[in-house]
Amino acid sequence: MSPLAELQQAFCDALISPKAPSESLLKELVDDGLALQRFNVYRNNFIVLNGDALADMYPVIKRLIGEEAFRVLASAYVRQHPPQERALLLYGDQFPGFLESIPELSELPYLADVARIEYAWTESYHTQDQDNLSEKQVSEIATDKLGECQLLPHPSLHCISSAFPIYAIWQTNQSDDSTESISLDQGESHVIVLRPAIDVEVREVSRGAYHFLKQLQSGNSIDQAYETANELDDTFDPGRFLTKHLFDGTFYQITPSS
Amino acid sequence: MNEAITSLRSAPARVPSRAGAGLKAVHYQTIIDEQPDIGWFEIHPENYMGKGGAPLRYLERIRSDYPISMHSVGTSLGSHLPLDRTHLNELKQLVDRFQPGLVSEHLSWSHGYEWYTNDLIPLLYTKESLNLVVEHIEQVQETLQRKILIENPSSYLQFKQSDIPEQEFLAEAVKRSGAGLLLDVNNVYVSCKNHNWDIEEYLSPITREMVGEIHLAGHAIQSLGDQELLIDDHGSPVCTAVWELYRHCIDRLGEVPTLIERDSNIPSFAELQKEVQFAEHYLRANQEVDRVTTR
Repeated sequence: MSPLAELQQAFCDALISPKAPSESLLKELVDDGLALQRFNVYRNNFIVLNGDALADMYPVIKRLIGEEAFRVLASAYVRQHPPQERALLLYGDQFPGFLESIPELSELPYLADVARIEYAWTESYHTQDQDNLSEKQVSEIATDKLGECQLLPHPSLHCISSAFPIYAIWQTNQSDDSTESISLDQGESHVIVLRPAIDVEVREVSRGAYHFLKQLQSGNSIDQAYETANELDDTFDPGRFLTKHLFDGTFYQITPSS
Repeated sequence: MNEAITSLRSAPARVPSRAGAGLKAVHYQTIIDEQPDIGWFEIHPENYMGKGGAPLRYLERIRSDYPISMHSVGTSLGSHLPLDRTHLNELKQLVDRFQPGLVSEHLSWSHGYEWYTNDLIPLLYTKESLNLVVEHIEQVQETLQRKILIENPSSYLQFKQSDIPEQEFLAEAVKRSGAGLLLDVNNVYVSCKNHNWDIEEYLSPITREMVGEIHLAGHAIQSLGDQELLIDDHGSPVCTAVWELYRHCIDRLGEVPTLIERDSNIPSFAELQKEVQFAEHYLRANQEVDRVTTR
């Protein structure tokens, strides 16, 4: 290996390690008695800059566990999952699973699902632009064939469900001055995240609507999607749902079954 | 707006020899609403590498009113690893779409393995890394089909193996690759203070022909025992010493497009604009002097 490659890898090893840098790396640095402190500026930057990116993506998690605990978790996350891409826009994609793996957080079992809403928000924010479904597209399909059609949700759609009231938790923690407390007895919650135009929307939906959208998202026909949704939630009324949401940006395309 | 964009596509708008500001998301709406008299804006292309949504829309809108410059942070010119083709192609797409007047990157590296530091790490200044940097600059220029500017870094440490002074390494890399120089005056100040380098000596190989852009920013001071280390955090206004060095630089280099960079503790747009106007004041004063001397 070339001296340059060797030095750069040794530097990266020391950046990512929580331990003090090796003697062999320190020997490579011009020493004015402060070589270690000088190196530590870089190590600190690595943790702080990437931790800041994570904090930008997960403001609600930061609020729920507090600034200090968030910093500790972010440092551990940055070391375990350093950025894999040069653009940091989606840095933090593994954070929900990472939160689940921390035993000390088991008393906050809703945390990972709330984090999933926050990640979906950012992903949705950067998704490709897509025109919404138009009335013209729907009018081109014979009414008696509609049920066999694929009705595709907007590409920015993300569906998140949880055994905990994650929508209420997320919603209440949108502002720093809210002091409302949420009872976990409220139970399960189904959330969709969507960006029909420029603004990201986070909505709580019924269990039936959630499964209906998930089925449609996987490419099943309207009839098939309804069947599954109805099995899981017999109060789900697809007519009412579609009247309200067919043209509001929840969908972008309708295609006859092949 | 669409018409304006179409016409922009055919030619990049030249970045004028005026002062400009780093474009921040929190200022998008103010800029669109108030149309401030500012020469140009600079962006980090990596912040616009999403597939769609608000950032690209705002940029399109602002680009229809102002020239822009793209200041990349992700090519990692000094890494021993090959350049990332995917990243380069994304950069190329943005350059083609938004037609920046200037494109620049840092003399540094940010990956030693397959992951990225997301921070600009100083290079080893040897013949080996000079050849590598020149090759990487050439690859970027070939992909983008245009000349780029290379920025002098700020740094907190030096490697013993380095045997070429930074300024000579930089001047040589620029000459051999046909690139230009982005002179970051704050970085000159920070690095010279941190390493006890002589500022005049640092500036000596830098000529008027090389420099296509100047950066100005604030830095923080960290105490290490009885010494001070200057940290290039772009988190405060430009300090007096850096303003003085800037005046000295434009006396030598002439009127160069000058950017006020701010990446943390971002102030209101009005406040940022005051610093931009300050830089512009110096640039204009310099123009006056030029006119008097040529007469």
